[in-house]
Amino acid sequence: MSALLPTASAGGTWAAVRDLLRGRRLLALGALAVLVTATAAGLLTAPLLGRVVDIVASGRPASAVTWPIVLIVGAAVVQGGLTALGVTLVAQLGEGMLAELRERFVSRALRLPLERVERAGSGDLTARVTADVSIVAEAVRRALPQLARSVLAIALTLVALAVLDWRFFVAALLAVPIQAHTVRWYVRHAVPLYAAQRVSVGAQQQQLLDTVGGAATVRAFRLGDHHVERVTERSTATVTLALRAVRLITRFYGRLNLAEYAGLSAVLAAGFLLVRADAVTIGTATAAALYFHNLFGPINIALSLVDDAQVAAAGLARLVGVASLPPVGEAEAERPVAVEASVKAAGLGHAYLPGHLVLRDVDLHIAPGERVALVGASGAGKTTVAKLVAGVHRPSHGTVHIAGVAVEELGAAATGGLVALITQEVHVFAGRLADDLRLARPDASDERVREALARVGALAWARALPDGLDTVVGEGGHQLTVTQAQQLALARLVLADPPVAVLDEATADAGSAGARVLEESAARALDGRTGLVVAHRLTQAATADRVVVLDAGRVVESGPHAVLVEAGGAYARLWTAWSATRGG
Amino acid sequence: MRGDRGTALRRAIGGQRRHVGLAAALAAGHQAGEALVPVLIGVVIDQAVATGSATRLALWLAVLAAVFAVLSSSYRFGARAAERASEWAGHDLRVRLTRRILDPRGGAEAGRLAGELTNIATGDARRVGGVNVVLPSAVAALTGLLVSAVALLWISIPLGLVVLLGAPPLLWLGHLLGRPLERRSEVEQERAAHASGVAADLVTGLRVLKGIGAEGAAIARYRRTSRESLSATLRAARAQAVHDGAILALTGVFIAAVALVGGRLAASGEISVGDLVAAVGLALFLLTPLQIFAWVNAEFAQGRASARRIDAVLAAPPAVTAGAGSLPSPVRGRVTLTGVHHGPLSGVDLDVAPGELLGVVAPDPAAATALLAVLGRDADPDAGTVALDGVPLSTLDPAQARGAILVAAHHAILFAGPLLANVTAAGGAAPAGRAMSAATADEVARSLPDGADTVLDERAQSLSGGQRQRVALARALAAEPPVLVLHDPTTAVDAVTEARIATGIREVRAGRTTLLVTTSPALLAATDRVVVLHGGAVTAAGSHFALVDLDPAYRAAVLQ
Repeated sequence: MSALLPTASAGGTWAAVRDLLRGRRLLALGALAVLVTATAAGLLTAPLLGRVVDIVASGRPASAVTWPIVLIVGAAVVQGGLTALGVTLVAQLGEGMLAELRERFVSRALRLPLERVERAGSGDLTARVTADVSIVAEAVRRALPQLARSVLAIALTLVALAVLDWRFFVAALLAVPIQAHTVRWYVRHAVPLYAAQRVSVGAQQQQLLDTVGGAATVRAFRLGDHHVERVTERSTATVTLALRAVRLITRFYGRLNLAEYAGLSAVLAAGFLLVRADAVTIGTATAAALYFHNLFGPINIALSLVDDAQVAAAGLARLVGVASLPPVGEAEAERPVAVEASVKAAGLGHAYLPGHLVLRDVDLHIAPGERVALVGASGAGKTTVAKLVAGVHRPSHGTVHIAGVAVEELGAAATGGLVALITQEVHVFAGRLADDLRLARPDASDERVREALARVGALAWARALPDGLDTVVGEGGHQLTVTQAQQLALARLVLADPPVAVLDEATADAGSAGARVLEESAARALDGRTGLVVAHRLTQAATADRVVVLDAGRVVESGPHAVLVEAGGAYARLWTAWSATRGG
Repeated sequence: MRGDRGTALRRAIGGQRRHVGLAAALAAGHQAGEALVPVLIGVVIDQAVATGSATRLALWLAVLAAVFAVLSSSYRFGARAAERASEWAGHDLRVRLTRRILDPRGGAEAGRLAGELTNIATGDARRVGGVNVVLPSAVAALTGLLVSAVALLWISIPLGLVVLLGAPPLLWLGHLLGRPLERRSEVEQERAAHASGVAADLVTGLRVLKGIGAEGAAIARYRRTSRESLSATLRAARAQAVHDGAILALTGVFIAAVALVGGRLAASGEISVGDLVAAVGLALFLLTPLQIFAWVNAEFAQGRASARRIDAVLAAPPAVTAGAGSLPSPVRGRVTLTGVHHGPLSGVDLDVAPGELLGVVAPDPAAATALLAVLGRDADPDAGTVALDGVPLSTLDPAQARGAILVAAHHAILFAGPLLANVTAAGGAAPAGRAMSAATADEVARSLPDGADTVLDERAQSLSGGQRQRVALARALAAEPPVLVLHDPTTAVDAVTEARIATGIREVRAGRTTLLVTTSPALLAATDRVVVLHGGAVTAAGSHFALVDLDPAYRAAVLQ
């Protein structure tokens, strides 16, 4: 059922990386040139030490070693300085590309049709924007500079070995087949293992969140032992996989040790033979041996980054998959002037699952300025109608016209300007309270923000917050009550100021006292707008201009409250049940 | 928990001491081998390359092979032992934490968010377990240091002293250079992390953004945050690069110093050429154990901080104490509150007859919460007693008390797993069918693709609020406790269904004591009797309809 969001192919990922590089060619070339020079300077140390050895071996005075030593100091300072510059340039390059990619990702992600996000499960998008972004960022921050320096060190050291004598280079290459084989073997085993490990770690985290977050429920229902067992099971699975990964890694390094030994003894033996044949000096043989010993570090670093690179590439492919989607409604279309903010839905039918119609033949006309309440039992299709009218979902059958224009022709941004939907789902955006509200209207003055809060009856408590409207709210900030969060949602509606507003069960979770406050706030937020209200409490229906009763996905009644009560149909029965329990 | 005197850190190491000991011994062998490699390169140059003796070359390459074999297998089995010790110690702490958090006596969550506790059980447990990797590394580094020191002093005492006395100040200097950068980079990394937080927050609120057409504003806001984060990251990266460059330059200067002293000693014939090569190699190698010490220090500091957080949870005082009393069997279900003071409750007296369906109206939500807490023994009253069949709850084991009085809180959570498994979690399969139809959860099941076997995600987020409440209510009813306390079970359920649920509760709970803490008139209309909690005490009692007629305050509380 769930259809994950797109993931880019290897080719697509490369194309995206090349695209990001396009405007940064100079920077990339500069970084490369500086790092090459830095590495080359560092490689002067070994032959200079070889020079010292030769001076000693040829029995020259002790003072003769001073010059090579001064050069070593010079090379070290140049290497240090250029490395600092080169790594800075690499960071500028990598971080700049990363920032551009994540911005592109977020802008595409927020423009995705909600249906698409819901089909994938909202966890997919959240995981990409948190886990994948941070994996790729970590790779850019730590792995990229290390990899760049190691690869350059390896490449230039091999060149330097060849410069000393081509036979040293050949000897050093003896290690390569072992390394190549080892890396292939490792990647083959590591990729599925690490994938399984990530799944397992995620499952463990989920289980702990589930258990710990529900601790009060676990205690009330005495499910403690069962939950401890579940956590133990998940944790054991994670540990087992981690230990398998360690076995793999240690075997990987064991094989690399073999390569180190093979290469080192080959270089030493080559030095032995070349010195005996008088082809090179002892100093040169020493330099070659030191070169190869100094390669251990960079080779280990470069090869150990192989799996980081794999993980980062997978994360990158998931980011690029979304970031490369064609831009939707980027251009903030100018809001069509609503001559008459009417809503006309004709022959609406909708199925979330193919063949599983939850709505059939719904016709709904709302005149400009009219307030219509949707009434019906749970599952009657009220929320679906609300979503279709607000343009959040596209109907399977039928059409929705707002202000005379078909919703699909309006485009996402324009629909947003004409009709707003406030749902039961409340989210307070992390940050200052005023900034949360300004999401609805970025250019709103302080005065206008205060007015919006006052209109929904929220100004008093907002002013009383520790820092007033500048109080940091949401995740990690001041926690608002459900009622306050809903009032905030209504204040956003006032600021966005659309001619048509759809309210869906906005009062359900606030408790009875909160519900009454919110009904008042909602009524004031709807003032002057065409409104469609999904009535959870029948009081909301009684105060609407017209009531539309849904049953099993069909409209069964429509008319003003008083008329429907008189008529003695479905609504009248609902109303009687509702008012009877109220002692009426 | 009992006998938990040692800290988490001591437990983590002590519980795995055999693995840790083995890992330390093997890691020491590995480091010693690594230290010997440059020494052997020097020996090969001296004994074979300089002399031209093929047998010596063969001999010393064989020795080199033996050293490689030892260092490689020591590393392999040492690292495995260390990781085993680390992972299992972390696992042990994780399970221990879970057990403490779920302990019937409660108290571990006080003042901590679920996410924070989860992080302690994952990240902190892992970090404390990780000390078992750090410890063998420290032993190994010490060994590497000693082996290279002995080798260096063996080659030449003055040269050995130059290296041994020169390396620590070099690293200290590096550390000194790094410290201000580290502090600065931490602050800036934090700012960088902020960008990812903002993105996640916007995605979480996606429906809200779409509802008011605020995608454009949100994207613009994220772009600003991303740019700020970029410049912070670049500042941090620049600082880091300068630090790395300085360390490289300093290391080069150090090598030059060693070569200068060694070269002069070799030129004057006091040491051989091979000794010089070995000394330079050892000088470079020596930096590794010293860096390991710095890493060990940092990891230990982190491990200690994590252990403190774990200890704080494990040692959190229980919210209630376990008594030794016991309930009569079977429980008849008479609930008596006498002079109960707790939070906003100030002297509640209440007697609930066995089998009664009692409505409790508490216009102050805090009073309702306090009442539920003392009934469910999440807390004991500050004064007064809550008794079941005449036995004060405070004399009972909290788990036993909850078996007799089940409090189904308004915010009760459904767990990941099949819908039916949630309903039967606390009761048998037999009552589940009746409970589900009473709570109209059978209708919820029918609307799902796999019926009652449909697997719910974490907290059943795929269900609507009303559907969740109906399943949670079915779970409470299926547990068939002698006394059931339901708090606002139908706030997100439509009026028609709510009326059917009221009838269902009445039927299923017939003959058993039930308290309905709610202001919903549909539910209250189905009760035998209603009491009103006002100002912390019972102010009115009677049938719902009588109270509606006679009590204006009651009317205001339950009617719109």
